[in-house]
Amino acid sequence: MPEATTAPPSGSAVQPVRATSRRPRRPGPPGWVALLWLGPALALILAVVVYPAVALVRASLARYSITGLRTGSAGFGDYRRVLHHPDLGRVLSNTAIWVVGVLVLTILAGLAVAQLLSKDFWGRRLVRWAVIVPWAASLVITARLFTLLLDYYHGVVNEILLDLHVISSPVDFLGSDSWILPSMIAVGVFVSVPFTAYVFLAGLNSIPGDVYEAARMDGATGWQTYVRITLPLLRPALLVATVLNIIYVFNSFPIVYTLNDRNPGFGHDTSITFMYKLAFKSSEHDVGMSAAAGVGNVLLILVVVAVYLRFVARDEVED
Amino acid sequence: MSATLPVRRRPRSARGPLLSLAGFLVAAVFLAPYAVMVLDALRPASDVLATPPSILPRTWSAASFGDVITDTRFLHWLRTSLVVSLASTVVVLLVSVPAAYYAARFRFRGRKAFLLLILVTQMFSPTALVVGIYREWFEATMVNTYLALILTDAAFNLAFAIWILQGFFAAIPREVEEAANLDGCGRMAVLTRILLPLARPGLVTAVIFTFIAAWNEYVVALTLMQDDAKKPLTVGISSYVTGYEQNWDQLFAASVIAIVPVVVLFALIEKHLVAGLTAGSVK
Amino acid sequence: MERRVVVRHTGLAGGVALALVLAACGGGTGASSSSSGSGGGASSSSGSGGGGKVSSITLMAAEYSKDHTAAFWNDFAQKYQAKTGIKLNVQVVSWDDIDQQASTAIQNSNPPDILNLNAYASYAKDGLLYSSDEVLDPAVKSDVLDAFVKSGTYQGKLYGMPDLSSARALFYNKTLFQQAGISAPPKTWDEFEADAKKVSALGKGTVGYAMPLGPEEAQAEFSIWLFNNGGNWKTDGKWTINSDKNVQTLTFLKKLAVTDKVTENNPGKTNRTDGAFALFSSGKAGMVVGFSPLQGQLDKDKKVDYGIAPMPTSDGSTPQTYGVTDYLMAFKKNGNQDAVKAFYQLYYQPDEVNTFIKAEGFLPVTKSGVQTFASEASLKVYLDTLPQTHLTPTDDPAWDKVKLAVQQGIGAAVGPSGDPKKVLDGLQQQAEAGS
Repeated sequence: MPEATTAPPSGSAVQPVRATSRRPRRPGPPGWVALLWLGPALALILAVVVYPAVALVRASLARYSITGLRTGSAGFGDYRRVLHHPDLGRVLSNTAIWVVGVLVLTILAGLAVAQLLSKDFWGRRLVRWAVIVPWAASLVITARLFTLLLDYYHGVVNEILLDLHVISSPVDFLGSDSWILPSMIAVGVFVSVPFTAYVFLAGLNSIPGDVYEAARMDGATGWQTYVRITLPLLRPALLVATVLNIIYVFNSFPIVYTLNDRNPGFGHDTSITFMYKLAFKSSEHDVGMSAAAGVGNVLLILVVVAVYLRFVARDEVED
Repeated sequence: MSATLPVRRRPRSARGPLLSLAGFLVAAVFLAPYAVMVLDALRPASDVLATPPSILPRTWSAASFGDVITDTRFLHWLRTSLVVSLASTVVVLLVSVPAAYYAARFRFRGRKAFLLLILVTQMFSPTALVVGIYREWFEATMVNTYLALILTDAAFNLAFAIWILQGFFAAIPREVEEAANLDGCGRMAVLTRILLPLARPGLVTAVIFTFIAAWNEYVVALTLMQDDAKKPLTVGISSYVTGYEQNWDQLFAASVIAIVPVVVLFALIEKHLVAGLTAGSVK
Repeated sequence: MERRVVVRHTGLAGGVALALVLAACGGGTGASSSSSGSGGGASSSSGSGGGGKVSSITLMAAEYSKDHTAAFWNDFAQKYQAKTGIKLNVQVVSWDDIDQQASTAIQNSNPPDILNLNAYASYAKDGLLYSSDEVLDPAVKSDVLDAFVKSGTYQGKLYGMPDLSSARALFYNKTLFQQAGISAPPKTWDEFEADAKKVSALGKGTVGYAMPLGPEEAQAEFSIWLFNNGGNWKTDGKWTINSDKNVQTLTFLKKLAVTDKVTENNPGKTNRTDGAFALFSSGKAGMVVGFSPLQGQLDKDKKVDYGIAPMPTSDGSTPQTYGVTDYLMAFKKNGNQDAVKAFYQLYYQPDEVNTFIKAEGFLPVTKSGVQTFASEASLKVYLDTLPQTHLTPTDDPAWDKVKLAVQQGIGAAVGPSGDPKKVLDGLQQQAEAGS
């Protein structure tokens, strides 16, 4: 059984943040040694991510013609125009509902799926393969697929619901103002659960079996064990899943853009599709404004993640 | 080495069949949309958007799969996707392993700043950054090269790998390493011969994550890969349905084929993930 | 066993590491003279000064169809190189993305040499383009249909060289018409309304008229209706978007959707490609405004027995045709003038331009092309009216934004609480502010 011996004894698969908070036990060697180990990562990030980020900030301070030609400096004009955009409030509230909705449902569903996949049962392997499929399929394709599935006229979902007599006439999942956001959230959850479930699965598997043993001897019921033991021990995995999902859901473009592509205006856009449409699809057609919205989007994520880490996940991050 | 799962301490309970049932229900939920996709690929294009819809094709036809796999454009796109995803994954491993190891083992000035920088880089969406990304590769005269796309994909997915691997390295007792040091192994040898095998589940997780992210990347590839033969699948696939001509059957056949390599990769390395992860509870 | 796996990993990775180091250096300084990159969109100038000639130019082309667009341009590039010795880099981009790609290139001061798009005036306004005087053989210019010369002319000069065109007409489902007891396609709006009601009354989910006023192509749908009510987007150089005629037109469309309920569900949120066309192609819509590519698709499917007729007019007067053309514009870049000129020279050879148009299923843009296509019976309905076709005001840079405002705004007018007058007033304001 080589697997058992080669695995980390305490197998903390997904506890990076807790692990970072663990006091490293040695003082570091001189700075240039650190650079040797961290250098490639730093170089890659500085060269490939930071440079364009600086370019984005510069673009947000410039004025552009509709063609993309830079015509001069805009000062904070682009930011002012974004802040005064009549649809900004709507976009922000859509974004809040979208992020919170997808996040909460994804975490709950992810916990349930992970719990199931951590159990030993016949066919588990096939189920695990099946669960990875929505993660493996490109979001562009999945979004396209769901516009077909949910269509009013040729969507299979309506057909099935009609056949089952759940509804008596088709629902316009994508064109109705009250259905489009729930539809997008449902698809968002669908594609986010696989990754999240695997993070939780790793976390569940790192919980030592003897902890459960002890709980059983104390006569704890299944639910009590879950709430008092499993969930607290899953906190590191929860932290990772939450932080990463916040970022991904905020920045999730294809689902919102594609499912919503038949609806005119900004009524159902989130901050990221708002940013894109400002540049290319709306009458603003202004890449400077779009860049300002892009900077705003990053700041928004930064604040949300910072607040989360500071207040909700305090214990894990404190050094 | 086949499917032998490590023996778990708790015996299989009588709930086994129930769990299997629940498992297959979950599998069905996640597979159902893609089953429709397969069925859409197996019918003429005109039947895909038919009103009223039918779940099973009215006319079965596997022609779309033949059209797609004999199409040189498609084969080029597939090759790009494979090359770029595999290479990005290798770059990520190569860069993240030393960084994660070092950050896990040593307390050095700027360590927190480094980890924070890593986290913040995840917050930028490539959609917003694509103009700057294009500019820098343009200035490096590397637009339209695999290497530019590989490095970009690697950079945007480095953070997760470093996070995950750091956790694993931190969890390996120092004693293991010290014993190896006594045996005369250098730091590099300790890392490659001892620590990496021990952190295998973390590596597997990082591989899956990076590969999938690179495989599905769209907007950067769209901008950097201008030569039709160098486009990856995600970009090329949009050619099947335009405002003027709709080959829905081929679009979905190509999509089905595009999912296969990822699932195969996952199936190949999943047992390492399972083995490593469950081993934790055997202890 | 595990060890072997790890060793293999590092072995493979080693090569990439080296590449990474090389790349990091090249990317960091931006001064790399490495020949590893082809430079993509860059036209590499062999001379250092402005007088140098380029050794390659780039074409950024919109993709009309998967099997024809890239194939045609790649073939064209070979001929072009054989003829001129200049390499033509072909970049085929989907319609959804081409605006973004062009903008990205221009933001980085690296536009393609030739761009194929449905708009050009803003580029001309920004002084980025060559006019036909600089790059087009006068003989070619005089062969281009007058309507397209007019739509491609900004401030007296032709900048938007048309690559192909299309015209819209009314497609009707003969089977549904027969079932509803309609003998001939409608000629007036009253007949149209009556026929749409009859088809809708057939039940089983049939709709009289599929009306795509969603953001994909709302301006096209509205254009064909307003031209057939004697309206226009601009009249005598002034925006007339909210003219009485246009308000009347949009009110009529709202009536079809809301009062008569003869359109599909939510027409203001229906796109053309996966909405209106799909409905007509599956035999569920009595009528739709279509064009020749839809014809090609319907003939391939062989599911719907359809006919094509001129659009009905509000008062029974002569039907007006709405046409669309896309443009090939050339960007002023150091030393590329001759290369660009040679590009146009070759493209407008009848063998090239007409072959492309035929393969894509569109309509010609030249007088000689109209003659060549005259033998195609299926195109007769469009060709007869092509020379007098009405176009949207693509010669006005303001239209490039107005069009987007129309796409994002006009759908709201045909909803239950839509206000056609208010929507058009808003668009008129935006147009005037942008001019």
